[in-house]
Amino acid sequence: MQIEVRSDGYQPPRSGLILLYSLIGTLFLIFVLRFWYLQILRGEEYAQQAHANRTRQERIYATRGIILDRKGELLAENRAAFALSLIREDCPDIPATLAQVSQWTGTPLPLLQSKFILESTKIKPFQPQIIAVDIPFEKVADIERQIFLWPGLSVQTRQRRYYPHGPLFAHILGYVADASERELKEDDKLALGDIVGKHGLELVLEKRLRGTKGQNIVEVDVLGRQLNKRQKAPPMAGENITLSLDIDMQKAASEALGEEAGAVVVLEPYTGKLRALVTHPSYDNNIFTTTLSKKDWAALVDDPGHPLQNRAIQSVYPPGSVWKLMMASLFLEQKIDPKSTVYCTGQISLGSHTFRCWKSGGHGFMNMMQSLINSCDVYYYEMGQRVGIDNIERFAKACGFGSATGIDLPHERPGLVPGKSWKFNRLEEQWQRGETLNISIGQGYTLVTPLQMAVFMAALLNNGKILKPSLIEDEPEALKKLLPIPHNQRNFILEGMRMTAATGTARRINRPDAVMGGKTGTAQVVRIGERRLKKSEMAYQHRDHAWLVSFGIKDGKTYVVVVMVEHGGGGSSTAGPVVAKVYEALFGPIHPGSQISQKSSPFANNPDADARRQGTTQ
Amino acid sequence: MSALDRRLITHINWSLMGFTAILFCVGVANLYSASGVRNEDGIFVSPFFHKQLLWGLGGVASMTVCTLFDYRHLRSLALPLFIFSLLLLLLVPVIGKSVYGAKRWIDLGFFSLQPSEFAKISTLLLSASLLSRHKEPLNWRELFFMLCVVPPPCLLIFFQPDLGTTLMVLFLFGGTILYNGVKKHVFKTCCIVIPLLLPFSWLILKDYHKERIFTFLDPSRDLQGAGYHITQSQIAIGSGQLWGKGFQEGTQSLLRFLPEKHTDFAFAVFSEEWGFLGCIALLVLFCFFLSCIINTVRGAKDRFGSILCAGVFFYFFWQILVNIGMVVGLMPVVGIPLPFISYGGTATIVNFIMLGLVLNVSMRRFMFKSN
Repeated sequence: MQIEVRSDGYQPPRSGLILLYSLIGTLFLIFVLRFWYLQILRGEEYAQQAHANRTRQERIYATRGIILDRKGELLAENRAAFALSLIREDCPDIPATLAQVSQWTGTPLPLLQSKFILESTKIKPFQPQIIAVDIPFEKVADIERQIFLWPGLSVQTRQRRYYPHGPLFAHILGYVADASERELKEDDKLALGDIVGKHGLELVLEKRLRGTKGQNIVEVDVLGRQLNKRQKAPPMAGENITLSLDIDMQKAASEALGEEAGAVVVLEPYTGKLRALVTHPSYDNNIFTTTLSKKDWAALVDDPGHPLQNRAIQSVYPPGSVWKLMMASLFLEQKIDPKSTVYCTGQISLGSHTFRCWKSGGHGFMNMMQSLINSCDVYYYEMGQRVGIDNIERFAKACGFGSATGIDLPHERPGLVPGKSWKFNRLEEQWQRGETLNISIGQGYTLVTPLQMAVFMAALLNNGKILKPSLIEDEPEALKKLLPIPHNQRNFILEGMRMTAATGTARRINRPDAVMGGKTGTAQVVRIGERRLKKSEMAYQHRDHAWLVSFGIKDGKTYVVVVMVEHGGGGSSTAGPVVAKVYEALFGPIHPGSQISQKSSPFANNPDADARRQGTTQ
Repeated sequence: MSALDRRLITHINWSLMGFTAILFCVGVANLYSASGVRNEDGIFVSPFFHKQLLWGLGGVASMTVCTLFDYRHLRSLALPLFIFSLLLLLLVPVIGKSVYGAKRWIDLGFFSLQPSEFAKISTLLLSASLLSRHKEPLNWRELFFMLCVVPPPCLLIFFQPDLGTTLMVLFLFGGTILYNGVKKHVFKTCCIVIPLLLPFSWLILKDYHKERIFTFLDPSRDLQGAGYHITQSQIAIGSGQLWGKGFQEGTQSLLRFLPEKHTDFAFAVFSEEWGFLGCIALLVLFCFFLSCIINTVRGAKDRFGSILCAGVFFYFFWQILVNIGMVVGLMPVVGIPLPFISYGGTATIVNFIMLGLVLNVSMRRFMFKSN
């Protein structure tokens, strides 16, 4: 079935043929020139580069800085850990190698394979990829003996973070883990498999702790095996950091709090250094540095006690009566005569509402000092109404409430100082007069963190300086602002607290060998009915939060201790003993019969006395 | 019948077959060397060159099939084949399988069909078929009509995405038009207008294409990443120097610094081991191979056959130019293999089919009666 046709004398186009021949000529010419350039003219140079290709760069990991308490006790250290890494380009049979690794480590093969495939795209050529971590020391020797059979595979000595005290500092230190994809993108100094701080000080101080990686130049044979090695750049270890925290104080505070949920803050008012910062319940942060299982993580997140929450800075509570310290200062600023009295019948009426004092029988006539000592609610209802919500809002914010203290820990919450515009923006409702009364005794919308209370207390003691609370020993003090309370008024409040500890609601913390001051608070979680229920009569989550804000001065040392027991009930009965125990750790046990030499109050408004006190404490 | 058979055999383009055989053998030997991993215990060889031999057998079989019928049937079959290949391309986004984020293959179970390869052949046939109607060089109207054929397959392939194959189809098509010729004024205008339009193609390029072009202009941009291919390939070629390092002695490929050494960068392995002289020899082989195709282009007794062979010439020419150009660092990295030297199943089969078409044309020269 051939087709016989006439060719009609067809002649291929001349120009087309010329085009084809000239294309061949051009092709030949271009490439001959290029080969000559690459192989003859620059051949020597490339030959040297090819030889240099036998060398590879290898990272040397820097030691992460350790973290110590102020006495030099290790809080975060590094322990040796062994990992297996694979250089893909050197491995002739990756599936078989993975199978062998699975057999050595007991990791299921599919898991190993999927992780390998997922991460291999992110690894640059000739960079080792970590395929198994945390290999026990006993197995390492075994693996080392056989590893020469598996080109590309090598044992890497890495460091693993270890926190010797686990739960005691978990919220402060945080933890480290493998750098995430986002972190890798943001920081080009990081490589896949690097460890970075994820939470707490490990995160905040990451730049100081991390150090700088070093570099080795390694000569390899055709199988990628090392022939020799020289160091090009030594690794620079991260900075060691000493905290202001004192492990003994931390332990004592933790033990004092016992099984209760809550927080203890121990702060040095003149320096702003934290000596203890305890939150309960806690968790062991070591579980994050090993491979954290989904089950462990779910258990932590779903725990009804919320152990991941740092209650000292991340939980906000109504302050209850400890708020009265700030309120009394405001009354003084508003020129309310501390000697003028309010008659407490146990309640006050506003419209159809009745606002009760905690003491149902009433306190009778109360002046300002007595109202602090006895924590009389009616006095604050009355005076709070007089100064008004706008003044309360302004003054509370000036005292540092409603904004974060700036502590070097992530996710601090600012709390809340309510006001008219806040309420309107938030709830689109007008301010009610009754709400001013609630705010006046630290209830209602008001929310503070235990650390904010401690910083305020410290400012009352340290000549009115609101300092950034510091966790790091050598950090210079950072003044945030000054309290809007003049010296004599601060002394009035401190004297009120001293009297409260001596004779009032904070008697439990008093001790004869030190100048002690305190203010209790019992913050309601639910509205009080006709009668205040006993703690045991209420469901746990309806129980009041117990507060105690205190200071102690002994032998020239001054401390602020703030205790908040979540749903702990009465401030005096629950928080009181905790605070007393913390002072026992700070000042030593109380010796019967020991007395302070100075019998008169250090806070009497006597200019000479002030000068003397400042002279001894600064 | 027997007389006819003898004439078919004697007219065949034997020299083309000879050069093809030499090139293919060089390619397989080179693959053998590229696969070898030297070790004190002996030499391990991964099975690329075995497979390439099998593909070569398949190629020769397809080539033979392509010589069995009279190529002039293809002239009328061109349009149906073209439409069929478009349908296949349309099917790819629907039932294609995804590899490295690109959908190029249709999985037939026993093997994966790559419709874009089929589209190359069918576009070539259609362009030869259409151009063979015109005895004179093309004028504007005819050129415009021709150019309407290109966008459908090119766009479909471009969005797979497969820039390399798109460019191949485009160049192959343009080559046949140039070979057939356009009117002088048309040619002059195009010479001015097309360079002016080129910058606009920047707009349709994807980011990674642009990155490749940047990296081509400055390989030190990303030495561990995209610039790695270019740098290592040039080191491999350059370090071959005049005589080369010898068969299986290339450190760049043995130490696995050279990426894609079996496929797109196979020529770099060859250059490293055979040096400047080897490269010139291989280049000369390719030039002879191409001029053998031109012999058939010249000898063809009808327009269709001649243009068809010219298309095959362009098919090989562009691949050689772009691949070697990329490997020696004269062009950006585009995934185009070097005929007969790079490993690749589908590519090998298509190469032999293309040769089959040329042989077909050369065999049937005698069937025309001269006036």
